[in-house]
Amino acid sequence: MHIPDGFLSAPVWLSLDAAALSLVGYLARQAQRESGEAWAPRLGVLGAFVFAAQMINFPVGVGTSGHLVGSALLALVLGPAAAAVVMTAILALQALIFQDGGVLALGANVVNMALAGVLAGYLPFRWWGAGRFRQFAIFLGGFFSVLAAALLAIAELRLSGVPIPAPVLWITLGLFTVTATLEGIITVAVVRGRDRLGLGLAPQPGARYARGLAVVGLACALLAVLGGLAASRHPDVLEKLLERLGLATSRGSQ
Amino acid sequence: MHHAVVDRWSSGHSLLHARDGRVKVLVCLGFLAAVATTPRLTALYAAGYGLAALAAVMVARLPLGALLVRAAVVLPFSGTFALVSLLAGDSPRAVALLAKSYLSAVAVLILVGSTPLPTILRSLERLRAPRLVVLVVQFLYRYLFVISEQAQHMRLAALSRGGWRFRSAAGAIAVLFARSYARAEGVHRAMLARGFQGHLTLLAPVRADWRDGLLLAGGWALIAFLRWGLEGVWSR
Repeated sequence: MHIPDGFLSAPVWLSLDAAALSLVGYLARQAQRESGEAWAPRLGVLGAFVFAAQMINFPVGVGTSGHLVGSALLALVLGPAAAAVVMTAILALQALIFQDGGVLALGANVVNMALAGVLAGYLPFRWWGAGRFRQFAIFLGGFFSVLAAALLAIAELRLSGVPIPAPVLWITLGLFTVTATLEGIITVAVVRGRDRLGLGLAPQPGARYARGLAVVGLACALLAVLGGLAASRHPDVLEKLLERLGLATSRGSQ
Repeated sequence: MHHAVVDRWSSGHSLLHARDGRVKVLVCLGFLAAVATTPRLTALYAAGYGLAALAAVMVARLPLGALLVRAAVVLPFSGTFALVSLLAGDSPRAVALLAKSYLSAVAVLILVGSTPLPTILRSLERLRAPRLVVLVVQFLYRYLFVISEQAQHMRLAALSRGGWRFRSAAGAIAVLFARSYARAEGVHRAMLARGFQGHLTLLAPVRADWRDGLLLAGGWALIAFLRWGLEGVWSR
């Protein structure tokens, strides 16, 4: 869900752009300190891989298919800081060249997918990745990376006053739960494939990130809660919709 | 997808192509901000912004039809939300969502259609975007088509071996990942061997002259007029 320009209200896109710029700047410095600027070519090639992998369709069931989003996979392989930088680069390129997501809304999309998505993809693995539940932790990472991004996008749209009536909201959430499950399964399958090829995952970074991660996580949770509050402040949207539908049916029966 | 069509557009020559990348980025951002903050995007506003965009397309000598079609990729997403707004009884918002997202996509296409990506990225870097991100975008774009093509080949190979199932897709991605990683190592070493120290050099140096200043001042003045002055002048 890439938010285009024209959807978010000025306070929302301005504050998210500012937040994304400062946080990604911080993470980029972290990633640089870890490995030096000369690492950029490598991150770029891996970003190109995620871009290409997003185009590979996974057949699921009859006639339906999903595709990888990749923030969890990147977080597992590169660690959260470098993964956030690569995801930001992907989103920037999608906004500039492919008109997938807006330029002013880039901050919002970065917060949703490159920061919250990567963080949600990474934390389960960090907590439970070493033990018996490794596969499950990887699945949870993929699952929550998509779900967190979707929830934040919905919260931002509602904060901007875009009407999302309850029935539409539930359908959207249902669809995202399905894609999130798929992302989890695909992430596990790809990591398993990597294991079989004898490739490891990211070395566990030290506790240096802990504060940054906590800040991002708390901010995202706050944003989602705010979106929820905005939703309950405008309960009339649903009534209006029902009224309209009621009108339409009564007109039809006349 | 062997080649992004905007690459062909941006390698053209025109008055707009010749302008400084930073100026074009700033004018484009001004336009986007004006469109995004217009409270009710009436037909008058849409016409004003649309004509300004049309003038830019003409000056840059970009193919108008192709550009308008390309910008339409935003419409399925905004169309869905516009429909929901319409059903919720908010038809001005429905129109605004469609018009704003479409106009914004056109504006971004004019920017990337008249400025090669390396120039845009260098301009963004000069405008204080995080440098590592800018560099990663640069390399991402360089290898995007290489790796996409590899992915297509692998898909074709799996299909001709008798099927494209979930497992083969996952395996293909794992192998693609391994190959990309190996390629990334190679590229990294090759760049280091060529003395890469963390930034790319452009063939033509970025330098602004009076025409760039004129575009920045004129562009922002026009945008400010469209945003705040047009309605007053019209209704008088």
